[in-house]
Amino acid sequence: MPQSSRQPEPHDPSRTAAGGRSEAARAVATGAIALWLLGLVLSIMGNSDSGASAFVRTVKGRLFSPWLTPLWLDLGFDYRLTYGGPEDADHALDIGRHGDEPGTGVTWPGRVVGERAARWRRLARAISADVDDADRDGLLAAAAGRGAFDRLGTQDVTVRVLRTPPRDRGAASSAPTAAYAARVRFAGGELQLLRQEARGEVAPLVRPATPAATRAAGEAR
Amino acid sequence: MSRDVIAAASMPTRARGLAAVGEEWERFWFTPVDARPLAWVRIVTAALALALWWSYAGDVQAWFGPRGLLPIDTVRQWRSPAGCSLYDVATSSAAVAVLFHATGIVFLLLLVGLGTPIVAPLAALLWASLLNRGPMLAGPGDDCLAVVLWCLAIGPAGWHLSCDRWLRDRSGGPAPGPAVRAAIALGLLRVYGSAISVAALLAQLKGDAWWDGLAAWYLAASPHSRLSGIVPLLERSEYLTNLVTHAVTALEIAFAVAVWFVPTRRIIARAAVVAWPLIGLLAGLPLWGAIMAVFALPAAADFEPAPGIEPPSAVR
Repeated sequence: MPQSSRQPEPHDPSRTAAGGRSEAARAVATGAIALWLLGLVLSIMGNSDSGASAFVRTVKGRLFSPWLTPLWLDLGFDYRLTYGGPEDADHALDIGRHGDEPGTGVTWPGRVVGERAARWRRLARAISADVDDADRDGLLAAAAGRGAFDRLGTQDVTVRVLRTPPRDRGAASSAPTAAYAARVRFAGGELQLLRQEARGEVAPLVRPATPAATRAAGEAR
Repeated sequence: MSRDVIAAASMPTRARGLAAVGEEWERFWFTPVDARPLAWVRIVTAALALALWWSYAGDVQAWFGPRGLLPIDTVRQWRSPAGCSLYDVATSSAAVAVLFHATGIVFLLLLVGLGTPIVAPLAALLWASLLNRGPMLAGPGDDCLAVVLWCLAIGPAGWHLSCDRWLRDRSGGPAPGPAVRAAIALGLLRVYGSAISVAALLAQLKGDAWWDGLAAWYLAASPHSRLSGIVPLLERSEYLTNLVTHAVTALEIAFAVAVWFVPTRRIIARAAVVAWPLIGLLAGLPLWGAIMAVFALPAAADFEPAPGIEPPSAVR
């Protein structure tokens, strides 16, 4: 009968071997899938904005990141979309000759729209966010400034990241402000980055007034 | 009753539980399924991949060229130490252009399904390389595309609706049947779709805007939203703003959970195929929204199974 002929013969050595191979392949696949899923969980836990425990960072960093990162699978997927805060501002990258007004050099994304514009905005956001990361601070700004030398015909430029905060409900749109500014120049054969702090960010120096100073101020008035 | 007696009585139940988990694992990952849903995933993904690839085209030399804004030495210092890319060895404009255009050609081949067993892993590898060359430029759509491309690389994505199939039929080859690799690829797509939903939800719920119901306003009022037409409506009605915000989180919760249950899977998957692109448009990330819909596609569509194959929803 055709049906019975399809049944595996329990004592057929070739079929037993094939079944063993199939079992072995399934065991290997199970291990690989389990490893992949563990990598996925650790990636989500280890790439959160909130940070990660030392244990997760170490296990992921030593065992999983070396193969997940090149495959672009070491991802946290923490797509918050918006919190409505300054970190969700619209960013633009402006590079001009040093001393010139903002907007007189090159500005990205400029008139570009869509995903292409989004990439420029991400670059601008990364430049301003790097300030909080000691290992990365100034890296992208210096490279972007250096990359714009030829385009601007100078070796002394100002890199600015302009930020337009999200519009609150019932409020008018705000004007863009400089979230980051640095002068990038070639001097003495080396590339220099001179960070320009916004005045508002510099803390005032407060000292208690001495009696003599108070008297002098009164006389001056 | 002694402790031993209790342990003996509970052992079979525990063993049965473990066996049930094992059987479910086997059924989920290793029951051969029709590869047709994977073919649709391949076609839609390749089209979206071409759109994302094209978004690099105008600036690839400005970023990655020898005198670009993102020289390789800087990127090496900036990115994860484990990161590497084929572009790392492309030190001339021509080499960058060749690699970049090769990626586009590979995506085209993936779209038409020619040489898919080689093209699918190559597409995933080239895309990962492009993203590793400039990690600071990558966004949510790029991440999710990479995930789907690796799933396609695992499964037999070219068995249906492809030039490969056409050539096989022409040469009189047998029609492809169900495959375990299709089950693994489709299973991974479902796991990733659910996991991305959970991760996005957790990230969103850390911000007040998703609790006070104003997140939809901030998204729509952004100059990059493709649904800015609803801003006047949202401005008039706070309740509507709250409703849209909570609908986004509700979809994420429902998608993460309901795809795992047969009675709710198709309904939520169909809702997600419509809702994810709308969320993408609202957030100014239309390609991300479209790729998220791809995760729901296999469960959403009524694929005609090949003869002798049970529909995926019945099998799994």
